Amino acid sequence: MNSITSLKHYALAFVLQTLITIVSTLFTESLGMVNIALIHLIPVLVIAIRGDMTATMIITSISVILFDLLYVPPRYSFNVQDLMYAWSFILFYVVGYIITIQARRLHATAIKDILLHTLSHDLKTPLSSILGNTSILLQKRPLAEKDRNDIILQIKNSGQHMNRLILNLLDSARLQNSQSFLRKEWCDFEDMLGVALQEFDQEPDAILLSIDPELRLFWGDSALLTRLLVNLLDNGLKYSHKNRPVRISITSVPSEVRIVFFNESSPIKKADLKNMFEKFYRLDYTVDMGGSGIGLSICKDIVTAHNGTIGAYNSDGGVYIEVTLPVSKHPGDTPKELL
Amino acid sequence: MRPKELILIVEDDPAISKMLSFSLTQEGYKCVVAEDMHHALRHLQVYKPDIILLDLSLPDGDGKNLIKTVRSESLTPIIVVSARNDEKEIVTSLDMGSDDYVTKPFSTHELLARIRSAQRRSLGLTRSSERITCNAITLDLQRHSIYKDQTLLRLTPTEFNLLKYCILHPNQVLTHARLLKEVWGVGYQLEMQYLRTFINSLRKKIEDVPARPKYIVTEMGIGYRFCCNDDIDSKE
Repeated sequence: MNSITSLKHYALAFVLQTLITIVSTLFTESLGMVNIALIHLIPVLVIAIRGDMTATMIITSISVILFDLLYVPPRYSFNVQDLMYAWSFILFYVVGYIITIQARRLHATAIKDILLHTLSHDLKTPLSSILGNTSILLQKRPLAEKDRNDIILQIKNSGQHMNRLILNLLDSARLQNSQSFLRKEWCDFEDMLGVALQEFDQEPDAILLSIDPELRLFWGDSALLTRLLVNLLDNGLKYSHKNRPVRISITSVPSEVRIVFFNESSPIKKADLKNMFEKFYRLDYTVDMGGSGIGLSICKDIVTAHNGTIGAYNSDGGVYIEVTLPVSKHPGDTPKELL
Repeated sequence: MRPKELILIVEDDPAISKMLSFSLTQEGYKCVVAEDMHHALRHLQVYKPDIILLDLSLPDGDGKNLIKTVRSESLTPIIVVSARNDEKEIVTSLDMGSDDYVTKPFSTHELLARIRSAQRRSLGLTRSSERITCNAITLDLQRHSIYKDQTLLRLTPTEFNLLKYCILHPNQVLTHARLLKEVWGVGYQLEMQYLRTFINSLRKKIEDVPARPKYIVTEMGIGYRFCCNDDIDSKE
């Protein structure tokens, strides 16, 4: 994800650089040195506002080099007659640096706001179900046994839902600190899927499994990969047509593991298919599903941390979510038998 | 029918300790609550509890120290009550001698099962016959074989030893390191790859649906538990 966004930054910066060079070259005389210098700050500002320090520094360097090479006397050389210009160059970097830092701070605040908003909304939904249902139970009026059970089950589900949300947030915090915090070990996807299935009180035929019998161990963070399966399962169950099963298949070839979740549902719009994995994105018409915008974005973070890809597409009267994880390390031969 | 065992609840959150003592009292246990290490140590001396429920994060110190203190004197069962995402703490406390754990949020049903199972182990109530049966699985120690529904399971030597160890320690959390040490031997404690591979192949032989295991249940980040409904638990 990062590499794609920064590619966009670079492309934009290069277009700007070219425009500036054309303008500055055509009007060198009439513009004067000061204005040319200021014009060369434009790409630096445009990139710095995106908060990517590496990109800022690279673009600043290009701006400085172009400015020095093309306009600072002696022209067409890296030499600088007047040492004053050395200060200008340094100032380019200072400006770029300060704006990048500020942009990052703004970005972090924005994310915090969204997070707080999502959290309070998503925690409130199950919480109000718990509080509402308990107050029904506390009433003196007698309840039919079946209703009572339904209510208690509701409370339990809401509790489990809140628990999943909190676990997701904890994992999300861990993922913010990126790859270095992955606790990699040999993982068995069948085993992890079993753990994920335990989180849901579903009839066995609500979830159909197909697991490659030749599935090999995978080198990854088992807690996070289990969370990935839980979130995808949660998503599938939530958006599936009523009483239609969610299908899960896990297959492997020597170079990668492929995990596919399928649930029957009305097709999702193209733009939404792409955006559903972005942070705190939720399809408009599903606001009241009691879902959380955080689940799928964490899936993406987990997959990205394992250098894999995740995507969704419409087909066969439903939605497929496909995860591909490259194998980074092959397990040795079958571990040794005891004699 | 149930004797009035005394449970010491070491927990600083009154909401949790209240809920625990309520449900445990309903089950016929007596309860004492300590909200910090200081009181826990004192209650330990005064009441001599039969079972200890221990929250590891206490306001005045690390609950693990309490495990050490208790273990230096007795084998009183200790069940650790812990927050999730704390696997390391749990594994350490299991290695230090606690008997089992539950993670918050837990169901009282789950906790009661753990308490009974820990109690039985400490009283030496494990069956010591030549044939040990757990649901459909039977271990015949004399014939050195394991059956499922009376059919002999064709197991490799490692699979056999692993399953045997599990059957001999039912309903008990078995950490990765412990299984590797007990089945493969000292020096193999870190060979997770072995364990994962053999658990997987074992499940294919004993579970009806390997991805929905009924016998060998995974304890995420900690180890495995061989689940065995015995008479007392199945009444619940």
